[in-house]
Amino acid sequence: MRRVAVVGAGMTPFAEHFDLGIKDLLPMAVGECQRSVDKGIDRSEIQAAWFGELTTTDGFPSGILADACGLDDVPVTRVENACATGNDAIRNATFAIASGHVDVALVVGGDKVRESSARSTFWEWAGMTRDMAWDYPLGLVAPANFALHVARYLHESPATREHMAMVAVKNHRHAVANPKAQLRFEITVEQVLRAPMVVDPFGLYDCTPQSDGAAALLLVSEDVVARYTDAPVWVRGVGLGLDRVMHQHKADMTTFPATRKAAKAAFAMAGLTPADVDVAEVHDCFTGVELISYEDLGFVDRFGAYKLVETGATSVGGRIPVNPSGGLKAKGHPPGATGVAQCVELFEQLRGQAATQVDGARVALAHNIGGPTAVSAITILGTERG
Amino acid sequence: MTICISDIGTYLPPWTEAGSRLPGDDEDAVTMAVEAGTAAIGDRDRSAVERVVLVTRGLPLLEGGNGAALLAGLGLSPTVETVERIGGAPAALDALLSASPGTLVIGVDLEPAGAAAALTAETGLQLGAVGRANRSLPVTARSADGLVHSYEDPRLLRERGWLASLRAAVPGGRPGAVVGVAPGQAAKLGSGAPLTPPTLGASAPIFALAELTARSGSESTILAAAEQAALTAATVTAESTVASVTRVEPAARPVPPKRRSPGPDIPVSLAAYDRAFESKVRWEAARCGGCGTLAFPPRYRCRHCGSENSWSRAPLPRRAEVYTATSVHVAVPGMATPYDLVIVQLADADVRVLARTTAAAPGTVSIGDTGRMCLRRVAVRSGVPDYGYAFWPDEVNDHDEKGASR
Repeated sequence: MRRVAVVGAGMTPFAEHFDLGIKDLLPMAVGECQRSVDKGIDRSEIQAAWFGELTTTDGFPSGILADACGLDDVPVTRVENACATGNDAIRNATFAIASGHVDVALVVGGDKVRESSARSTFWEWAGMTRDMAWDYPLGLVAPANFALHVARYLHESPATREHMAMVAVKNHRHAVANPKAQLRFEITVEQVLRAPMVVDPFGLYDCTPQSDGAAALLLVSEDVVARYTDAPVWVRGVGLGLDRVMHQHKADMTTFPATRKAAKAAFAMAGLTPADVDVAEVHDCFTGVELISYEDLGFVDRFGAYKLVETGATSVGGRIPVNPSGGLKAKGHPPGATGVAQCVELFEQLRGQAATQVDGARVALAHNIGGPTAVSAITILGTERG
Repeated sequence: MTICISDIGTYLPPWTEAGSRLPGDDEDAVTMAVEAGTAAIGDRDRSAVERVVLVTRGLPLLEGGNGAALLAGLGLSPTVETVERIGGAPAALDALLSASPGTLVIGVDLEPAGAAAALTAETGLQLGAVGRANRSLPVTARSADGLVHSYEDPRLLRERGWLASLRAAVPGGRPGAVVGVAPGQAAKLGSGAPLTPPTLGASAPIFALAELTARSGSESTILAAAEQAALTAATVTAESTVASVTRVEPAARPVPPKRRSPGPDIPVSLAAYDRAFESKVRWEAARCGGCGTLAFPPRYRCRHCGSENSWSRAPLPRRAEVYTATSVHVAVPGMATPYDLVIVQLADADVRVLARTTAAAPGTVSIGDTGRMCLRRVAVRSGVPDYGYAFWPDEVNDHDEKGASR
C-alpha cells in the first residue's frame, strides 16, 4: 500500500451559524483548506471526494458538496457513521489513495445542526439511532445514551463529578486561544458543578454545545506529495470499531469496546503504541466520555483516568495533552465535521502552527465515539512517513 | 342465582392531589386493570380465567385493541374472551351478577383513580341479585367532543337519582351500604357501617366487596352501586368461605412536579409495534432452540450458536436490580420531564433491560436498587398507547432525592 499524506487543512469557525447554510459552510472550509497548501493546488487536481455528514440539510449531501464547491466532475461519496463520520471519511479516502486508485482526494465533514430548534435536535438524533419499538419511545435522548455509561463508570471507578468538571475546565481553557472555537471562555470547577442538570450526571457545562460548521483536508499519495509541500503530515493509521447497538446488551458499560477495537486496528497499522502519542483529540461530547476514553485508548490503566486530570497530564504542557483545540466540549460539535476538524487541529499541531501548540508533537491521535456508543473511528497522524 | 367470588385484587396508583388518587403519566385503564387483575389471579393457574370483563368509562382505544394488551399484560391466552364494557359502579356489579365461574371482572376508574378485580369460582364470597333501576338523570354529560357538562343540582340528584332508584330496586329503600356516591352521602343512604372505597365508578363495588370480605360474621349485607340515577343492588354473604384479597395499594404521595414541553407528535411504526407486541407486552424473551440462549428483544440469528429461526418464547423474570440509572432533566418535545431511565439486570436470567421507572419520583432510583417489572404505558405515539415494562423500585423515598454527585 502507498503512504498517504495530509497536505492541506481548513475549517470554518464552529458556532451557531444562523446566517450560513450548509451550502455556505462547505465552500468556506474547502477554500481555507485549498489556501493552506504550501505550494498551492488547483481545484481541478482533486480526483475524488468523501463527504462526512450525519444529518442531511437541504437535501442530497454528495450533490450539495459537488455543486457548492465546483467539484461536479469528480466522484463524491457521502459517509455517515454516526459521530464517527468524520474520521471514517478520512479512513475511506486513505484507502482509495493507498490502493493506487487516486493520488489527490478531498475529505470534507460538515453539519448544520442549528436548522431545527435547539430542543428538537435531541429527538431528531434519537430517531435515527434507536430501535423504533423498544428504545425510542422510552425517551433515550443522546445525552442519556452516554449518561447511562458514565453513571456506572462513576459507580465503579474512583472518578467523581469533580474529575468530570476538571475535563470541562481544561478544554475551555484550551479553547480560549482557538479562533475557530465556539466557547472561548474559562470556567471553574465550581461553575461546572453548580450548573443546571441536563441529564444526570451531566450538568450544562459537562455537555458539548450544538454547533454548525465544516472542515476539510487534502490527502495525497506519497508519489505526488512533493508537488504540494515539503512538510507533509502522514496518515500513519486508521481504525474503525463497532459494538452492540442496544445499551442493555453491553456487558460492561464502564468502557467503550468500539474504541478499543478501533484503537487496536489503528495502532497496528501505524506500528505505534499509545505511549508514542504526543497529543490527542478525544471525543468529549460529554466530559465523562473523555475520562472513559483515556482508558480505552490506552493512555492510562482501567479506572485510572481521574489521575490524568488530577495531575494535569492531559493539559497542554502535560505528559499527554488531550483536546488542545478545546475539544467537542469548547470548540463545538457539528457531528460530521468533528472528526475532520480534529485532524485539522492535529495537522497544525504536527506542523507547529496550532493556536495552543503542544511543543515537539510528532505523533497525534484523533478519536470519535458515536451513535448509541456503538461505533468508533480513529486516525493516527505523524511527522514521520513510517 | 348465587355468584361466588374466590379472589379479589385491588390497585391504587401512588399519586394524590387534593385527597384523590391520580393515575401516573404512564398509566391508563389497561395498565391499572392489569395491576388489579394480576393481584386477583395471584399464583393461580392462568387457565382458571375463562373470560375477562373490563368495566370502565376510560377505555384507551375506543376503536379496539385494548383486549389484546389486557390479556398479554395478565399473561392470559389470546383465545380468552374479553368484554369491554363502558360503565360505572352499577355496570361492574351487573357484570359480576351475570358472570359464570372463571370470569375475571375488572373495574377501573381514572378520577379518582383505582382498579379492582374479582375472580368468580364455585365457592367463595356469595353474591345474589336484589334489584336494578335503570333510570336516566344525566347530571353529568360528556358529549362526543369530550366536553363535560355539569348540571350541578345535588338535591335533585339525591331525591330523583339515588333515593328514587333505591326505592325502586331495594325492598324498604335502604340497603346496608351504597357505593358510587360521595362518601358523606353514602353514610346517609346506607343503614350499616359505611364502606370507604377510594373510587366512585366501576371499581367501587369491587373495592366494597374486598372491604366486606374483611368484616367477620355471616350476616348478609345489601350492597347498592349507583351512578347518577342508575342503580344495581346485590346481597353479599360471607359464610364459610370468603374471598382472598390482595391489595397493591402503595402509600399516597404528592405528584412530582414535571414540565411538559410542546413538540412534534412522536411517530409510531405500527409494523414495528406489531412485530414487538407479544414479546414486549407479555414480557417474554425468545429462547434459542439450538443452545437455549435468551434473546430480548427477540432476534433472527442467535449470537451464541448462530441458529436462525429456531426460537420459542420464554417468560422473563419480573424481579430486577438496577445496573445503571440516569435522570433526563432537559426538555424533550412531547415528554414530561424529568424522567428516569434505568438498565436493570433481571433476576436469575442473563438478560438486561432498558426501562423507565414508575411509582417513584424522578431522581430517586440508584444503582443496586431492587424492584419489579410491571406493565405501563411507556408512550403515546400518534395517538397509539405504547405498552411496555417499567421498573417499580421496592423502596420508594421521594424525599431522599439523590444528590448531583451520587
